[in-house]
Amino acid sequence: MNPHSPFPYHQQKRFVSRRDFLWELGGGLGGVALAAMMNEAQAAMNPLAPKAAHHPAKARAVIQIFCPGGLSHVDTWDYKPELAKRQGKPFDPEGKLTFFASKPGNCQQSWWPFRQHGECGRWMSDLFPKLAQRVDDMSFIHSMQSKTALHGPAMFMANSGFILPGFPSMGSWVTYGLGSASQDLPAFVVLPDPRGLPPGGVINWGAGFLPAIHQGTTLQTDVEKPPIADLFPSKNFAHLRGQDEQASRDFLQTLNRAHATERAGNSELEARIAAYELAARLQLSAPEATNLRGESDATKQLYHLDHEDIGTFGRQCLLARRLVERGVRFVQIFCGAENTTAKKIRPNWDSHEDLVRDHGYWGAILDTGASALLADLKSRGLLDSTLVICTSEFGRQPAAQGAGKGRDHNPGAFTAWMAGGGIKGGTAYGSTDDLGFKAAENPAYCYDLHATALHLLGLDHEKLSFYNNGVQRRLTDVHGHVIKDIIS
Amino acid sequence: MKPAIFLLFTASAVAVDFDREIRPLLQKHCVECHGEKKQKGELRLDAKSFALKGGHDGPAIVAGKAEASPLFQRLTSTDDNERMPPKGEPLSAAQIAAVRTWIDAGAVWPENAADKAAVVDKRLQHWSVQPVGTGFGTSASIDAFIQASLSAKGLAMSPEADRRTLIRRLSFDLTGLPPTPERVEQFVRDSDPGAYEKLADELLKSPHYGERWARHWLDIAHYADTHGFERDQLRPNAWHYRDYVIESLNADKPYHEFLREQIAGDIIRPEDEQAVIATGFLAAGPWDFVGHVETKSDMLRRAARAGDLDDMVTQVITATMGITINCARCHDHKLDPITQQEYYQLWSVFAGVKRGEREVSAEESKRLADEKARLGKALAQARAQIAKLAGEGLELATLLPKDSGIDLRYGTVTKDKQGYHRDIQTNRLQKLQNVPGVKWVFVPDGKGVVTLDYQVEVKGIPATSGHFWDTIANRPLNAQRSTKLGDTDYSTKGHTILAMHANSGITFDLIKLREQSGLEALRLTGLVGFGASKEAAASRADFTVFVDAELKFQKLKLRKDETAALDLAVPASAKTLTLVATDGGDGIASDLLFIGDLKLVTEAAESRLTDAETVELKKLRAEAQKLESDLKALPEPAKVYAIVSDPQPPVIKLQRRGNPEDEGAEVLPAAFTWAKHAPSALGENATPEGQRRLALANWITHSDNPLTARVIVNRLWHHHFGQGLVTTPSDFGLGGSLPSHPELLDFLARELITHGWSLKHVHKLIVMSKAYRQESGFGFSRNNAAEAATTLDSSNRLLWRQNPRRLDAETLRDTVLAVSGKLNLARGGPGYRDFHYTEAYAPIYDYITPDQPELWRRSIYRFIVRTTPHQFMSTLDCPDPANLTPARVNTTTALQALTLSNNDFMLQQAGHFATRLERETGSHEAAIRRAFALAFQRAPSAAELQAATPLVTEQGLFALCRMLLNANEFIYLD
Repeated sequence: MNPHSPFPYHQQKRFVSRRDFLWELGGGLGGVALAAMMNEAQAAMNPLAPKAAHHPAKARAVIQIFCPGGLSHVDTWDYKPELAKRQGKPFDPEGKLTFFASKPGNCQQSWWPFRQHGECGRWMSDLFPKLAQRVDDMSFIHSMQSKTALHGPAMFMANSGFILPGFPSMGSWVTYGLGSASQDLPAFVVLPDPRGLPPGGVINWGAGFLPAIHQGTTLQTDVEKPPIADLFPSKNFAHLRGQDEQASRDFLQTLNRAHATERAGNSELEARIAAYELAARLQLSAPEATNLRGESDATKQLYHLDHEDIGTFGRQCLLARRLVERGVRFVQIFCGAENTTAKKIRPNWDSHEDLVRDHGYWGAILDTGASALLADLKSRGLLDSTLVICTSEFGRQPAAQGAGKGRDHNPGAFTAWMAGGGIKGGTAYGSTDDLGFKAAENPAYCYDLHATALHLLGLDHEKLSFYNNGVQRRLTDVHGHVIKDIIS
Repeated sequence: MKPAIFLLFTASAVAVDFDREIRPLLQKHCVECHGEKKQKGELRLDAKSFALKGGHDGPAIVAGKAEASPLFQRLTSTDDNERMPPKGEPLSAAQIAAVRTWIDAGAVWPENAADKAAVVDKRLQHWSVQPVGTGFGTSASIDAFIQASLSAKGLAMSPEADRRTLIRRLSFDLTGLPPTPERVEQFVRDSDPGAYEKLADELLKSPHYGERWARHWLDIAHYADTHGFERDQLRPNAWHYRDYVIESLNADKPYHEFLREQIAGDIIRPEDEQAVIATGFLAAGPWDFVGHVETKSDMLRRAARAGDLDDMVTQVITATMGITINCARCHDHKLDPITQQEYYQLWSVFAGVKRGEREVSAEESKRLADEKARLGKALAQARAQIAKLAGEGLELATLLPKDSGIDLRYGTVTKDKQGYHRDIQTNRLQKLQNVPGVKWVFVPDGKGVVTLDYQVEVKGIPATSGHFWDTIANRPLNAQRSTKLGDTDYSTKGHTILAMHANSGITFDLIKLREQSGLEALRLTGLVGFGASKEAAASRADFTVFVDAELKFQKLKLRKDETAALDLAVPASAKTLTLVATDGGDGIASDLLFIGDLKLVTEAAESRLTDAETVELKKLRAEAQKLESDLKALPEPAKVYAIVSDPQPPVIKLQRRGNPEDEGAEVLPAAFTWAKHAPSALGENATPEGQRRLALANWITHSDNPLTARVIVNRLWHHHFGQGLVTTPSDFGLGGSLPSHPELLDFLARELITHGWSLKHVHKLIVMSKAYRQESGFGFSRNNAAEAATTLDSSNRLLWRQNPRRLDAETLRDTVLAVSGKLNLARGGPGYRDFHYTEAYAPIYDYITPDQPELWRRSIYRFIVRTTPHQFMSTLDCPDPANLTPARVNTTTALQALTLSNNDFMLQQAGHFATRLERETGSHEAAIRRAFALAFQRAPSAAELQAATPLVTEQGLFALCRMLLNANEFIYLD
C-alpha cells in the first residue's frame, strides 16, 4: 500500500493481494501451467484490478453532482448585467425563435442579485450564499453547450457523450481505464435523488457496451433499505441471515473447487470463486461505509442532515465523502429526479412555470450540500485528490417562458464548475454572449469537460477506447480538448 | 520571375530516365504529403494516373510545357510559402533541371506494377466482399476444414465429450433449457449409434428451439416493449413481432424470406398478417416521444427524426450484412468503402417509414369498424325511440361506447387510460367517426376561438393551460377516486357518468339525435362535480354549456366539495349542444370533473302508452340489449407495433457533418456500389415508399450478395461455439476480424443457400460435426500437449477443443425455473410484466417479485422496459436494448454472487426446488441424488454426498438447493 495514499482508511488495513489470493487458491495446480495462465487469470479474475494511468494523475477520485432538469446559468453562476438592462424588452422581436416548449417572452434578468465573492472576485448570485464562500476553490466553464434541448438525450450526452442511449457513462469509462482502488467496495457508485431516478433512468450510469462490471452500482440512500440491492436476503427471507450462511458458503466453495480442479486452466471458474469471497466482504464493507453514526455532530450539522428537504442531499454528499475516503473511484450524486406532474414544486431543476419557486427550493439544497462537501473534503485533506464536478444537461433561456415566470430549455449555453483534484480555483473558462443565450468565447461541450476530467485522473481521452460494432469508441467520440486554462 | 540559373540548363537538356531520376525524387520529396495516406490539395504523385490527373487546382503537369506546369512552378518558386517541398532546402538545381527536361520532353511516365496497384481500391479486395466460394467437393465438411488447419500447426481435435456432457450442451444450445434427468439417462444408455442424431433432430423440432434462437435475433434487432428515452411509454403490441420471430424460426422459414418479410413484408403480402407483423423488425429500436411529438421546436423534431433514421438503417444493414455504416453519417467511412452519400441513400429507402402502431389487417379492421358503426347507429336509434316512448330521456353518456373514452387528440375511441398531455393543438375540433350523436371533441385554451359549423364561434370559455388529462369517457377517469356526488353513487346501476377532465370539450349533434328520437323541445339535466379523492389538493374548475353558440350555463371556480346542477331548455331549433370543462386557472391537477346522469328529456308531459306502444317498447328494449351485447362482443382490431408508411416519402438530402440543419445535395434510394451482385440503384424520388424497401430487401437477400449468407452462418457458429469464425459477428468490414477458416465459412454459406436457406440445415451440420462434439477441457495429457495448444492457439480459434460457456441471463433464469419444477411453458402472447406500472409524465416501472405462475414463463416472454432495466437480468449481463448486441459480454462480479445468493426470485425458487425434492423422494440421500440430477444432470460423487448430507440434516434441503443454484457447474456448460 502506498504510504502516501490519499485514502487514509486504507492505511489501517493490509489486504491480501490478488496475486497472493490466486496462488493460494491454485495451490493444487502445477506451477508451470499456473504461471502460463497468470495473465489471463489476472484479467478474468478482476477486470477492476488497478491499471496504470497514461500519465501522472492529479485526482484520484471524482465526485460528480448532477442537477437534472436544466439549471439556469443566468440566475446562478453567469453574471449578465446586459440582461438586467433589457429587462422586460422583447427577447425575439421578430418572432423567429421557437424554444423547446414555447415562443420566447421578454428578457428576464436574474431572479437573484449577483455579487462578487472571494479573493478572485468572481460573481455568483444570492441563490448560493454558502457556495459563494467557496468560490476560490471553484472553476467555472461558462461556455458549455449541448447538442439537444430534450432532457433524455441531453442527459445521455452529458453522461456518455452521445445523445442516444447505449453508450458507456463517464464513471464506467473511468473504472474501465483505471480499475478500482477499493477491494471491498464497487469502483463506481451512484447516489440517486431519494425522490426518484433522473430523466433517462439508470441508463445514465450504464456501462453501454463496456463489460457490465463497469456500470455504476446504485447505493440506496433510503436509511431503511440495505445500501446495495440483494446485499442480504430480503425481509421475506430474514431467517437466512446470520451464521448459518457460513456452512452453506463452505459447501458451495467445496463444490466449486472440485469442479474447477477437474477443469484446470479455466480461469473464469477461479474468478467466480473469488467473486463469492468479495461478495462476503461487501456484506461487511457496504453497511460500514454507509453508517453515519460515527460522524461527529459538527459534521452532521455541516450537511444539515436533520433538515427535511436539505438533509437528504446532505446525506448523499456525506456518503460521497465516505466512499471516496474508502477508495471508491467515481461517485455520482443526483440533485433532482425525473419530471412528474404530481408535485406542486418540480422534482428537479426544470423550471418552466415558476423559476423562483423551483430554483429557490433546489438552490438551498445544492448550496448547503455542495458547500459542505467542499469544506469537509478540504478539512480532511481530500480535496486536492478529489475532483468535484457540478453540471446539468443544459441551461435555461435568458427570456421568460412566454408571459410566465419560468424559463425554457437552453442547449446553447450553460455553466459547469469543477473544484479540487488539480483544478485551479477562482478561475473561469469561456463565456456566453451578453444575454447568456449562446456560448461566445471558447465554446465547449461535455467532450471538453470529460477530456479535462480524464486528464486530471491520468487518462488521455484519445487513448481510452473500446472496440464496439466496427468502431474504436471513446467517451469523447471524435471531439474533446483538455481545458488547460483551469488546471493548476 | 524565374531565377536565371535555370536558363543555363535549358540549353543543355539531355534525355531523362523517369524511373531512375524522377520517380525516386517524387517518392523522396513529395509522396509523404501527396500519396496514399495524405492528399494535400487532393493531389497524389505516387502513381501515374493520379499524378497526370492533377489535384484540386487542376492538372499539375502539362506535358511538354514545364513552365506552364504548376508542379514545376511550385518547385521553383522563390516565395517560401509557395515553394515545394515546404520543409527543408529547395531541390538542387540538377534535380530541378531534370524535372524540367522530363516535362518538356512530354512527361513520359512508364507505368509499372506499383502504378497499376495504386489505382485499385484495396478496400474492394477485402475478403468479405468477394463472391462466396463455390465448387466444394463431396469430401468437404466442417471437420475436414477444422482438421486441416489444426494439422498445419501440429494440433488435433480433442476426443468426443461423454454423452452426459453432450446432451447438456446440445439441449442448452438448441433450446436454452436443461434436459430432464430421465432424458439424460435414456440418452446415456441408448445403444443406438444414431442416438446423438436422434437427439439433435428431436431438439431442432422442439418449439423451444424458436424461443431460444429468437433471443439471439432480438438481440441484434434491439427489441424492447417500451419506447425508451425520457417518456418511456409502453408498446403493448410489440410482442406480435417477437412471436413472429419465434414461429418463423420454429417453422424453419427460409432465411432470405425471413429477412425480406422483416424489411418489406407489408408490401410483399399485405393480406398476410404475419408478413405485416414481420416489419416490427424495423420498429424494434428506441424512439423518442419528446423529440418526435412533444417538443414545439421543428429543429428538435428534425434532430429526433435523424436519430430515428440512423437507428433504422444501421440496424437493417448491421443485422443482415454485418457491416457498420453509421460512421458514414458524418463523413465517408474511414475503413470501409462506404461514402457519406451512400449512407444517406439508405435513408432515402426508409424516408417514408415511421415507427408506430398499425392494424395487423386493414381488411379485418375495416370490417370491424363498419360493423361497429352499423351496430352503434342501430343502438342509438333504438335508445332514442325508447326515450321518446318511455319519456325516460336520453342518457348522453351512453352515446359513447361503454367503458371506453374518446381520445382528445384524434377523436378516436380508445379503451386505454391516458395520462398528462400538453402537446396538442388547442381549439381544434376532432371529428368523431363511429359515435353517432357526437360531432367532435376539442381541447379549449380559452384564448383562441372555437369555431363550430357555419362560422359559428363559441365565446366565453375561461382561459386555460391548454393541457389535458385522459379521455372524455362513459366511465370513471383514470385516477378518479370517487363516483359519488351528494348521496348518489353514479357508478351504480341505473346511473351514468360522463367524465370530462379539464381541459376538454364535446359537442353533441342535436339534429342526429332528434332524427333518431323524434324528440323536439328538450331539457338538459345532470349534476356536475369532482371525482377527486378527499385528500387531493384544493383545486378549482369551470363548467360551461353552449347551445349552438349561445352560452346557456356557466359555473366558474367550482370547488372540489361543490356540485352544480344542470337544468336548462334546449329549443327544438337547436343544432348543437357543447359541454366544456376547464381548469379554473390553477392547472389541471385534480380537475377530475364528471357529470352524473346527464340527460336530454322531453319537455312534453309523460305520455301514457297505448298497448301497442307498450309492446313496441318491450321489443325495442330487447333489441337495444341485444345490440349492446353484440357491440361489446366485437373484438378490437389486432394491432402491432411496427411501421407506418408514408407512400410519398420526403426527398432526402445529405447532411453535412451529420448535421440535420446543414443539408447538401439530394440523394436517391440506393444501396452500396461496391457490392457487384446487383445494381445499387433502388429507385427514384417518384418510387413509392414500399417499393424502395422491397428493392433493398431483394438486394440484401440476392443469392450472390457476398455478405448476407456468410453473416448468418457465422452468427449460428458463434452461438454454438461461443465465438464466431469471424469473431466480430456484426462487423465483416476492414475493422472487423478476419475469418479463422475462410473456406469453412464459405462452405457453410453455400450449404445454406443450396439448401433453400434452411437455418436448421446449418444447425444440423454444425452440431453433428466432431468439432462441436469435442471435450471442452484444456486437453492436458490428451491429444495435445497443453503447452503446445495454449501456446500456439490460446484463444482456441482453431478449435482444438470446444469452448466452455456460461449461461446467459435468460437461460440462467429459465433453468432455475426448470430445475425448481415451476417453469411455465405457455407460449406466445403478451409478455409477462414483473413490475408495477405507474402512469406519469415519465412512466414509472417498479420491479416486483411475486411468486406467481404467470411470472414463471420463459424469459423470452418478458416485457422489456428500456429505461428501467431489470436489475436481476442486467446484473447477469443481459444487454441494454438500446444497443445492437451481436455477442453478449460476460462478466464475473461480486454483485452477481449477491444476486444469485440473495435475490427474492432465487430464494423463492430454491424453496420450490426443495419442496419438489421432498415430494419426489423419500430420504435425504435420495433427495440429494435427485437434486444433483436435476441441477447438474449427473449423480453426486461420494465426497459431494458426504459434504451435502450434514448441510441437509442441519439446515434442510433449502440450503442445499440454494447453493446448487449458485454453483459454477450449474452456470457453466462444458
